[in-house]
Amino acid sequence: MDFLHVEGFRKKFYNTEVLKGIDFSLQKGEILAIIGASGSGKTTLLRCLNFLETPDEGKVYLDGELLSDAKERYPEGTLREKRKKFGLVFQNFNLFPHYRAIKNVSLASDLAAKERAKEFRREQKRRYREEGVRFAGRLARRDGAKFREEALKESARRAEELLETVGLGDKKQSYPGELSGGQQQRVAIARALALDPEVLCFDEPTSALDPELTGEVLRVIRALKGRTMIIVTHEMKFAREVADKVLFMADGAVEEEGTPEEIFVHARSEKLRAFLKRENSGD
Amino acid sequence: MNTFLSITLDLLEGFGTTCLIFALTLALALPLGLVVAFGSMSRFRLLRLPVRTLVWIIRGTPLMLQLIAIFYGPSLLFGIGGFDRLTAVIVAFVINYACYFSEIYRGGIEGVPAGQREAAQVLGLTKRQTFFYVILPQVIKRITAPMSNEVMTLVKDTSLARIISVAEIIMVSQEYTRQGLIWPLFYTGAFYLLFIGILTLLFRFLEKKLAYIKV
Ligand SMILES: Nc1ncnc2c1ncn2[C@@H]1O[C@H](COP(=O)(O)OP(=O)(O)O)[C@@H](O)[C@H]1O
Ligand SMILES: [Mg+2]
Repeated sequence: MDFLHVEGFRKKFYNTEVLKGIDFSLQKGEILAIIGASGSGKTTLLRCLNFLETPDEGKVYLDGELLSDAKERYPEGTLREKRKKFGLVFQNFNLFPHYRAIKNVSLASDLAAKERAKEFRREQKRRYREEGVRFAGRLARRDGAKFREEALKESARRAEELLETVGLGDKKQSYPGELSGGQQQRVAIARALALDPEVLCFDEPTSALDPELTGEVLRVIRALKGRTMIIVTHEMKFAREVADKVLFMADGAVEEEGTPEEIFVHARSEKLRAFLKRENSGD
Repeated sequence: MNTFLSITLDLLEGFGTTCLIFALTLALALPLGLVVAFGSMSRFRLLRLPVRTLVWIIRGTPLMLQLIAIFYGPSLLFGIGGFDRLTAVIVAFVINYACYFSEIYRGGIEGVPAGQREAAQVLGLTKRQTFFYVILPQVIKRITAPMSNEVMTLVKDTSLARIISVAEIIMVSQEYTRQGLIWPLFYTGAFYLLFIGILTLLFRFLEKKLAYIKV
């Protein structure tokens, strides 16, 4: 059984078919690199996986279970749970400019912690009431506040740890505007890791960066090996080095698929050969 | 006896009314403007179109006319007693400023890049959390400059209240003009300048406070 299995993704914008039936699968801990000319539908594919777009058709299976089916309408709450299975690192970072690096990383888990604390307070209140304790409300509030404080502390500790993992332990109090592009993208990676997604997706994580800053970001991604990841990239050397599997997309379809060796050395299709030739002459 | 002190005290009373109109309008129009902004951005035409029409009418006609319409309208149209004078002023001002504020909010909200909402969505934030923790703080940063203009205009617009005989500072000073004493009218300018000066400092402080956000 495949860990991730995508089946028959189709997506139309107005009358143009951007995804023409995409299928692929991935094992746990594997890295999938997606390459292809601009406009071939790579971003749209990642956006569909992350529920930013709804495909017209297609299913996603995760860990042996049907996660989503384009035909189904999911209520907002369910959708949010499904979303959290995937993480996405954007091409242009999309950090929150009004929060420090550490808060960018911890925001989602902070908010989740607050929700859980509220839930816990309600439960405690009910429990105290059942036990017939006096001041049930006040006691429950006290318990809730304690729970919340602990959870927030844990969230901050984890965010700090993640920033250290991406080599930014000393920048945790900086605002995004004070960081270089490479540093911002590393914060964005830490942010995506904070919810510990099952599948982490990257959409051309270095293409908005100056050439001298791509190295530090690629190094961080390389160090994440062991996680299940999907990386859309123009860095052919990088794709070849880290990927377990490569997908070449052309005009909204998977034109060729294989190991890095099969794709980069023994390309079969004419389109892939032409693409690789262009990419190589570009560098 | 018209001493400088007695006139100053008299004008101060009128200035109190000016400040009251200002404060109430701001306190009510700021939140209402956000509601109007949501209405004018709604996906539902049945809500969006009427709201946008209302905004167009309010922004397209003089506040003075709106003031008169709200004060005299109910009794002229339905023969019923309408609002008392001060309430009519507050109602007219709140509606007028809510519409102006709504356009500022709308510009601010639409100016936040789509990527911000998407990043929040991918992180599993609820719509509510996304608005309050991600979008609104950036909107506040984006709208401080246009808001400060609008708020300064409000200070001076309060003088329109005298149209329906609400004794704000200019109306009080005109009592003296009628008695042949002209300088109290110009003296009111000092009150406005002081008020605007304080607001300018407040907004400058706010802008400095928000300078760390690079949007
Ligand atoms: N929101 C959208 N509305 C209309 N067309 C879109 C939209 N998003 C993408 N497209 C079109 O879909 C095609 C594929 O885009 P994209 O997925 O961004 O490709 P890639 O990431 O491979 O460059 C392009 O032709 C693009 O113009
Ligand atoms: Mg793209």
